[in-house]
Amino acid sequence: MPGPFRIAHGLLIDTASAVGFRFDGRQLQGVAGDTLASALLANGQRLVGRSFKYHRPRGIVTAGPEEPCALVDVIGSAGREPNQLATTLPLREGLRAESQNRWPSLAFDVRAINDLLGRFLPAGFYYKSFMAPGWAWERLYEPLIRRAAGLGRLAAIVGEHAAPAETIHDHADVLVVGAGVAGLAAVRRLSVRGLKVMLVEQDVALGGGSLLDARWTAWRESLSAELRDFPAVRILPGTAVLGAYGHGVFGALQILAPAEAARFGGLRERLRIVRAKRVIIATGALERLVAFPANDLPGVMLAGAALAYLRRYGVAAGSRPAFFLNNDEAYEAVFALADVGIKCAGVIDPRNDSLAAERARTRGVEVHGGTVVAGVYGRRGVRGVCLADPSGNPRGRLEADCLLISGGHTPAIALASQLGAPLEWQERIAAFTADLDAGSGCLAGAARGVFGLGAAARDGDTGACAIAADLGHGTDAALQALDFPEDAEVTPLKPLWEVAAPGKAFVDLQNDVTTADVRLACREGYEHLEHMKRFTTHGMATDQGRIGGLVGAAVLAQARGVPLSQVGQLKPRPFAQSIAFAALAGGEVREHFRPKRRLPLHDWHESAGAIFVPTGLWLRPLVYSRRPGWQPVLEEARAVRAGVGITDVSTLGKIDVQGPDAAKFLDFIYANTFSTLAVGRARYGIMLREDGMMFDDGTTSRLGPEHFLVTTTTAGGTAVLEHMEFHLQTVCRELDVLLSDVGDQWAQFAVAGPRAREVVAGVVTGLDLSNEAFPFMAVRAATIAGVAGRIFRISFSGELAYEVAVPAKHALTAWSALLQAGKPSGIRPYGLDALNTLRIEKGHVTSAELNGNTTADDLGLQRMLKKQGDFVGRALAQRAGLVAPGRLQLVGVRPVDRSRRRLRNGSQLLASATARGESLGYVTSSSPSVELEGWVGLALVSGGRQRLGQRLIGASPVHDETTQIEIVSPHMLDPENTRVRA
Amino acid sequence: MSAPEGRARSGPAARVGLGECLADIVELAALRGRALDLQGIAARRGLSLPAPGRIALTGDTLTLCVRPARWLLLSPAAAAGASVSPWQSACAGTAAALDLSSGLSALHLTGPDAREALARGCRLDLDPQAFPAGHAAATIMAQVAAILAAVPSGMLILTPASTARHLREWLAAAAQAFGLAPRADVTVSALSGELHS
Repeated sequence: MPGPFRIAHGLLIDTASAVGFRFDGRQLQGVAGDTLASALLANGQRLVGRSFKYHRPRGIVTAGPEEPCALVDVIGSAGREPNQLATTLPLREGLRAESQNRWPSLAFDVRAINDLLGRFLPAGFYYKSFMAPGWAWERLYEPLIRRAAGLGRLAAIVGEHAAPAETIHDHADVLVVGAGVAGLAAVRRLSVRGLKVMLVEQDVALGGGSLLDARWTAWRESLSAELRDFPAVRILPGTAVLGAYGHGVFGALQILAPAEAARFGGLRERLRIVRAKRVIIATGALERLVAFPANDLPGVMLAGAALAYLRRYGVAAGSRPAFFLNNDEAYEAVFALADVGIKCAGVIDPRNDSLAAERARTRGVEVHGGTVVAGVYGRRGVRGVCLADPSGNPRGRLEADCLLISGGHTPAIALASQLGAPLEWQERIAAFTADLDAGSGCLAGAARGVFGLGAAARDGDTGACAIAADLGHGTDAALQALDFPEDAEVTPLKPLWEVAAPGKAFVDLQNDVTTADVRLACREGYEHLEHMKRFTTHGMATDQGRIGGLVGAAVLAQARGVPLSQVGQLKPRPFAQSIAFAALAGGEVREHFRPKRRLPLHDWHESAGAIFVPTGLWLRPLVYSRRPGWQPVLEEARAVRAGVGITDVSTLGKIDVQGPDAAKFLDFIYANTFSTLAVGRARYGIMLREDGMMFDDGTTSRLGPEHFLVTTTTAGGTAVLEHMEFHLQTVCRELDVLLSDVGDQWAQFAVAGPRAREVVAGVVTGLDLSNEAFPFMAVRAATIAGVAGRIFRISFSGELAYEVAVPAKHALTAWSALLQAGKPSGIRPYGLDALNTLRIEKGHVTSAELNGNTTADDLGLQRMLKKQGDFVGRALAQRAGLVAPGRLQLVGVRPVDRSRRRLRNGSQLLASATARGESLGYVTSSSPSVELEGWVGLALVSGGRQRLGQRLIGASPVHDETTQIEIVSPHMLDPENTRVRA
Repeated sequence: MSAPEGRARSGPAARVGLGECLADIVELAALRGRALDLQGIAARRGLSLPAPGRIALTGDTLTLCVRPARWLLLSPAAAAGASVSPWQSACAGTAAALDLSSGLSALHLTGPDAREALARGCRLDLDPQAFPAGHAAATIMAQVAAILAAVPSGMLILTPASTARHLREWLAAAAQAFGLAPRADVTVSALSGELHS
């Protein structure tokens, strides 16, 4: 059998198939079914890492996800993944693992000096030590702390982390967490009652504690066979529930078995979001450590873990084990190792006598009753144990190569705590339990403090019966009872948290927190358990301090002089164990990271050479050219000023408003009036937020007496509809109005320029486009290239313009017809950049100015606020701060030297070049102008409207530029607005 | 003892089909307190409007309801506006009738693993026990709005037209492991036929 410590056949391994792997460069061999930890132990590799703070040698302490010490880096083909748990990491051929937190080597680590300096590095030392001088923080302390912090190294974010992950949503009547005997018995009952059940188990095998007791094999196997006949039961091994989020929602991480991973294209893990009517938490109990000096030396292991390594993997934790146990359950490890011929160095038990001790003695095992372990000796591994009586008097030594310990068992109630279940102290097991309200579910078995496999199985069945009845599945056909062995009678444990003796006694192995640190926290005033946690870091990081959490609380209780029941237990938060960000991201990565909204004519724009720019979720054509610089943009904009251009404005939000109270409602939503708008006319409107700031703007048309069409900004579409629905459903409940999102229904194109009329006239039938019949701000239904649509005479560019709307499915028909009709006029499509150039010249605002910090007055729109009647934002717009003089107001800006200087968005405006730090405002938008000489821009400037004609300095320190600029009216082009009425 | 999740297949046996459903879509939205009147108008036009969360079929029109007092009508594609204008005149004063034929896209997902693929992004319980053919619901999937309607051949998914390609690509990726086959577009009459039989 591979490995000197592989002494028996294990339940999960196949000793016939060897698996080669490397640890710290050393080639080793394990077998199929091993974890990295079991393979290391089989090879006698006990030293597996260095501790977080003191760099003390550390070994394998547990056999499960609660492991505090055996964390390794796994090196894959494309990257290094830190903090992988050796105790759950399946061994695979060619696995390369490296120990963490050591330099230059695991055996000799220079920072182990920290261990000797330990008295100068108590908990919280860095809060006090790294205070002064101030300059040292950035230059000295932070780099030093960063180097020292953390365990593993993350070498690449790509590589294995980039492997696909996915999220799945699951639904069940009952979620059963944990497939130990309680969970399995519960699932059997629920299935017979006809409920849809999901059973998740973090282990790769089902059975929990029954896997460690051969007498339970028959029970487990016949139950498993039975469950296969229930199609409504889904069983997911390798799946750990990481969080309980209330309302029946749970998060679970499934590690895919290799065969399934291959079928899903190398998928490694799945985040499962489970929604269940009830939950049965059958997560068992975790063995806890005892704090005594050097309880972290490699070779000190939980007794239950040693039992698991033997039963599951056929690996002995050592060749001459000593035991330190305060409870009868843990004696199973003594008997199991004796059964395979391992000579026991002796059992140390603080109890004077017990049923289990008696059984041990009859088997020839020496039991030291009324004795404790006062220390362990050995340099990089256990060589022996020092005994003492309860008052601390030495009682000799035992030579041993490992010490298997148990301080009792703590029910795993993390999920119940996350659901808000209060803690209840149970003297019988010296631990807290919790219970759920019936509407959520229940705990069962050891998780509820019911110890012993037989008792737990019965408890699971009882819990399941109650839940089934609660869900209306009260009766079942007679269920054949399955035989199982009776539990042995046990003597109660004797609570033992720590052995007071000189030396570092750890309560948290992962964070190097000692009993002394806990007492220091208490002295410093961090008396509350959660404060102590934050002062000492006890109970943090990947293992959440699970095996020592209650021990730390007990030490704190002793320091405070109160019973442990008053101190409580650390509140565990999701996630119950570490999870890769890749798993949380699931499938929403790369091209699926966020949705893309595409225009109906996206493909046309693409084939016309458009460069797309994301605006919100939309992809909009920025410019129809790959040539760099402003030239292509200006060519497009010039076409609009000189002839005619066409642009796709389908991204504008469109909301259909109908109903007898539609006009009244819009009067309330908009700051200006719409009830006076005539049918067939459009009006520019502005909306305020409730706090009085500008929210959105756009044109709204009256299509009928009770029918309006609201258009919003591209960015505002969804938000405006939500805003309107909110007010309709809360503030204006008496109004009879229907709001419908028709944004995607309509494709809309702006045809703009002096020659726009002739182009539109070429495609429209049944509409007189003359200025008299169809003036500025007129709206009509019309037939465009044979398609029923609408024509709006509105303009954003400042030119004569029409917006043509057709159902999006007919977008190409209308667009092509317009291009065809515009050919003689030299029509050309223009993108967002040209649109921006045109509107800046004209002084129209967009999201750069509607930035959430501006009022209507700031933007020169104060005259639009109606004097009569209420509207959203009216009251708060009157706040002193929003009408105070000196607010930033919208102005136009132009460089004084028109020939050379460009303007930069974000430039700060200063009174003089020497006025350091006294910004009067900033440039919000800028562009080279089409018609005017040089650049034009819009800016928000303190008291701006009083500064027309003033010269200021525009400073852009990031570009190391200053430009003298002139403040002008924002309406730089056609201030009389004659062109749009042409 | 382990029961691997999913029934993924690679290779020739495609277990998910993805196509489009060609239909004109009209939304009827009743004014306050006029839902019954609207149902009367629909009945006179030979259409029964279903309860919330359900689909109904009359002739070759599929009707579904996922919002209070609002119904979506899917009928065979006709000329632009042809499906909505009779409703606009019939409902005047009672309800709004809106043409959404261009605003919504209808995808048709079929095959034995269609629901498995949907579970990758859909929070709804789509188990046939919980969501049998004839049920409909609105939800968010792949970060966009979607209306799901269970039909015997699979699932009809309505989504805003501007994000339809995104959702389609996302569905294709989710279904990849199960073997994905592009399916010919179906007409709403074909779906209605299924529900009738």
